[in-house]
Amino acid sequence: MSAALGEIWRNRIFYLFALPFAVLTILFGVWPIVLSIEVSFTASATALKPSPTWVGWANYATVLADPLFVASLGRTLVYTVLSVVANVGVALGLAVLFDSTLLKRGNLFFRLAVFLPVVTPDVAGYVVWRWLYDRSFGAFNAALAGLGLPAFTGLSSPDTATLSLLLAELWHHTGFYMIIFLANLAIRDRALEEAAVIDGADAWQRWRWVILPQIRPALIINTVYALIQFLKTFTVVVVMTKGGPNDATNFVSYYAWQLFDQGRYGEATAMATVLFGLVVVLSLGVFVFGDREAAR
Amino acid sequence: MNGVGRTHPLLRFAAWAVALPVAVLFLYPYWWMMVSALRSTREIMSAPLRLLPERLDLSIFSEISRIGGVELWRYALNSVAITGASTVVGVVVTALGAYALVRKPKLPGFAVLRWGFLVAIMYPYMLLVIPVYLVMYRLGLLGSYSGIVLFLALGPIQFFLFEQFFRAIPKEVIEAAVIDGASEAQILFRIVLPMAAPVTATVALITFLINWAQWFPVMLISTTPDTYTLPVALLSMNGELGANFQGIMALAVLVTLPIAVLFLLAQKRVMAGMAAGAVKG
Repeated sequence: MSAALGEIWRNRIFYLFALPFAVLTILFGVWPIVLSIEVSFTASATALKPSPTWVGWANYATVLADPLFVASLGRTLVYTVLSVVANVGVALGLAVLFDSTLLKRGNLFFRLAVFLPVVTPDVAGYVVWRWLYDRSFGAFNAALAGLGLPAFTGLSSPDTATLSLLLAELWHHTGFYMIIFLANLAIRDRALEEAAVIDGADAWQRWRWVILPQIRPALIINTVYALIQFLKTFTVVVVMTKGGPNDATNFVSYYAWQLFDQGRYGEATAMATVLFGLVVVLSLGVFVFGDREAAR
Repeated sequence: MNGVGRTHPLLRFAAWAVALPVAVLFLYPYWWMMVSALRSTREIMSAPLRLLPERLDLSIFSEISRIGGVELWRYALNSVAITGASTVVGVVVTALGAYALVRKPKLPGFAVLRWGFLVAIMYPYMLLVIPVYLVMYRLGLLGSYSGIVLFLALGPIQFFLFEQFFRAIPKEVIEAAVIDGASEAQILFRIVLPMAAPVTATVALITFLINWAQWFPVMLISTTPDTYTLPVALLSMNGELGANFQGIMALAVLVTLPIAVLFLLAQKRVMAGMAAGAVKG
């Protein structure tokens, strides 16, 4: 014990360096999570009081028995899968294209064009997209009409609202995954491709058997990042649809926020915990699956 | 560079035929936003696709000089102040913290601290912000600038960039300084931090870009619109009934333009930094 204390005292300057970081991490990282889990076991009406009423797993039972939540969870999972595939797929395609020498000097311009939305404040981007889809103001339908094509119902119909959000989010996010692919492509071993050419491999074989295995790390990281990103889809819903029409875009984050806003703290935090568990399990799953695939 | 295969002119044409429309699609919303900010609602409704405004009329900016009872300049000032302050606090706190954790990972409590941080950044952000409201309430920081600034200070990319950099410093450099009798403070301020100037600039830049865009924590911790930033003002304006379309586009330009210019000036650093910060060691 005293040995440990002695070590701490000898290294007190490092504790001093780490102190502000530790304070912020605990206050605004660890404490909120603990608090959230704690609140999820209390009755909403008493959640903010000094001595809340403990209700055990009641909030979790309520939440899991709530058909709206179950529907919302299913919707979130479908949206997440579609978005992960679309974003990572498009990002990979664009990275390969922009990494090739086919575009010569255009490369930087194209990268900037696709990456600019990543640093554009999401609220601003989604506000513009919301109006792009608008029936009377929007450029989208005006362009379709100009081409003689039928109108796109966009955010106003439950059938197309999800797709509309997906496209807007693709615009905002895919550039981020693209630069991770590009960074990975830049450090690959090009000599292997030359060797493959000498061995008579065609373009597809080089891509599939030489390049793709080398960008597996970026593929795994991007998939995990995208999973975390789209499981918690929120801003785009707030800006563009408010969960509608007909709950078609009412994803778990937004639903939880609505409950929180209504003072149903217990249920809202129970949903948060469920979603957190899902994020952890799915992310670990991708990592483990990716590792096993790599080991084969 | 052209070791693999010979580039066929047809192939090159095909590449441009894909890349160019992609770039146009990604950039068009910006153009439409800027043009729409200069056109009256009636003009937009009659021709949504017009590529240039009918005339150069900037009067919309005086029209939106008050939003939700607060002066526009106040939102702008809040944006600059909150983003700037949270960037400075974030860079200092993260640099010191990451340095301590990398230099002495085995000290009691340090591993736990690192894990706590990692779990916190894994937690779905929007759902973390909700209990942060409760924390701010208990700390008496609701509605305060300091509450907003402190919450925005830490972020994953910032931490990973510093951690990576400090890990890459050769042990010999530090050991030599220790043998020369330098104190830990001297090592940090005379040797390590001067070396870290480029990574510090990158982290500051990325933190600024990220925090400029933040809206949910700002909205949640605020108790009145007096502490709102530009994106929050834009969101509340967009949510109004009978929305002023031209005004919304003008405000969206104000939210976007400064950050787009900053990014284009420092694009190399930002893109390299974001890629490196995401692909943690």
